Amino acid sequence: MTVASPSLPPGFEELEAFVPYWVLDSNDQRRAARSTAEMDDIQRFYDAIVARAEQAIVHCEQFKLGQMPPASERLFKLLLAMNHAAIAVEMHGAPRAHESTWPSAVRITQGPWPHGGRI
Amino acid sequence: MSAVIEKPAARKHVIDERSFTHAAGLATGPVSVEPYRSPAFFELERERVFKRAWLCIGRIEQLPQINSYFTKDIEIWKASVLVTRDKHDRIRAFHNVCSHRGNLVVNQTCGVAERLVCRYHNWQYRNDGELIGVPDQKHFFDLDKKTCGLTPISCDIWEGFIFLNHQSKPEVSLAEFLGPFGTRYAGVPYFNLDETIVIQADFKANWKLIADAFAEPYHVPSLHPATLAPGFAHPEENRYARPLSAMAHGIHRHFSAYGNPDYVPAPTSKVEALVYVQDTGGVLGGDASDNAAALTAHPAINPTKDPCWSADVTWIFPNFNIDYSTGGFWTHEFWPVAHDRTHWTLKIYIPKTMSIRHRLQLEHYACRWAEVVLEDVTNCERIQRGLESGAKDTMILQDAEMLIRHSLHVLDKWVKADRVADALR
Repeated sequence: MTVASPSLPPGFEELEAFVPYWVLDSNDQRRAARSTAEMDDIQRFYDAIVARAEQAIVHCEQFKLGQMPPASERLFKLLLAMNHAAIAVEMHGAPRAHESTWPSAVRITQGPWPHGGRI
Repeated sequence: MSAVIEKPAARKHVIDERSFTHAAGLATGPVSVEPYRSPAFFELERERVFKRAWLCIGRIEQLPQINSYFTKDIEIWKASVLVTRDKHDRIRAFHNVCSHRGNLVVNQTCGVAERLVCRYHNWQYRNDGELIGVPDQKHFFDLDKKTCGLTPISCDIWEGFIFLNHQSKPEVSLAEFLGPFGTRYAGVPYFNLDETIVIQADFKANWKLIADAFAEPYHVPSLHPATLAPGFAHPEENRYARPLSAMAHGIHRHFSAYGNPDYVPAPTSKVEALVYVQDTGGVLGGDASDNAAALTAHPAINPTKDPCWSADVTWIFPNFNIDYSTGGFWTHEFWPVAHDRTHWTLKIYIPKTMSIRHRLQLEHYACRWAEVVLEDVTNCERIQRGLESGAKDTMILQDAEMLIRHSLHVLDKWVKADRVADALR
């Protein structure tokens, strides 16, 4: 997917570099992105999004769930991806559970609404 | 800000050192691993367990209105089943097989329709199973539509859970099958029935290995050191996550899991602390606190009423779990595919998304769960390889693993008993 630049709301320019990899439509896609990323890249994303998380949440709270303008929705999807980066950074210190196999037999076939996805 | 951070420290936890295994009347020796690796035993399970036991295949909310239906593949039966809510509001189940030439009638996983049409030759059935339309009927020979309906499957409901029985005339009713478990857990309140996170896995291990993984918390500190251990064990007071209680209820069983009352996200866990806006304690928080209070008031839940409680795992024989926690409830279906293949479906019932922050919490909750599942699935595949090697003929179970011992004991009875009534004794 190509994203018109800038793709995020004004004020969040420093997160722009993370949009192509981390803005995804479903819970399972975000999990796969984190599970297959390099730890350094996950850490860079984590540090950047955590630093702006509170402002990003306040920005998104202006809108109803599921009814955000595209730029704000992309920012919200970055916040959703932040949780997955946190699993790697805050729990494992690795992209996914130690000694786990990938590709994985596990799928999140239905995630929470909105942007949870359904397989 | 997470409410859990402001929680006062609880009093010191006292571990119950009475033997759950002795109390359940079980032996204590090593147990055979043949049930996990023998294709012959798997065929016995198919015929004598899965084709005679009542199996939970879903909940009534999957049929939200008159004429709702859903289909499900039950591989251990080699069957596709169709479950409908007819115009009289009766929930019924059928083999999803056309009487004409044996094709599958419905190919959608769910929908709303009074008439269901086999697309091969457009034979039409009503959702009560009656055959109501046969194109070019006059060229059939003595066709009696009344005898050509869908083949019914015995279906009954307990607390909103739909159970099926493969026997055309089940030897025992669902109530008899559930026995003391059914009465003990009747009236437990269920919340958040309309929203679910669903996690599925198809993997290379016997179905009992994953059921066993959820039957004991002894492995939590070692296999789930980051995902679960901080919430379900305690470095001083309950290092090995010993259950608060573990009991057999007829052929079914439960254990109550310890929850670390001192748990707070580590100072470095900035995201976890940020997103847990709604928390009833423990790492699986997510439901509203009045729901948690109503649940814990039921006598079956956390039966010793231990203050350091996090969740109850209930294992309905043979392959279904309903687990209750302060953060809501979830179910596991462990479906056998082959002696070394399993399809596992985990459904986590969650509150409707209320806010941006709550949505972030639900994402964290879903991805923590998926990580736990990944740890368990990977582990089960390793165990299967270990068992198949033939290196060991038995496994050794400790007291906290009582549910596994009980499972194998009940399974053995079902495989040997010629009558279901005898297997229930």
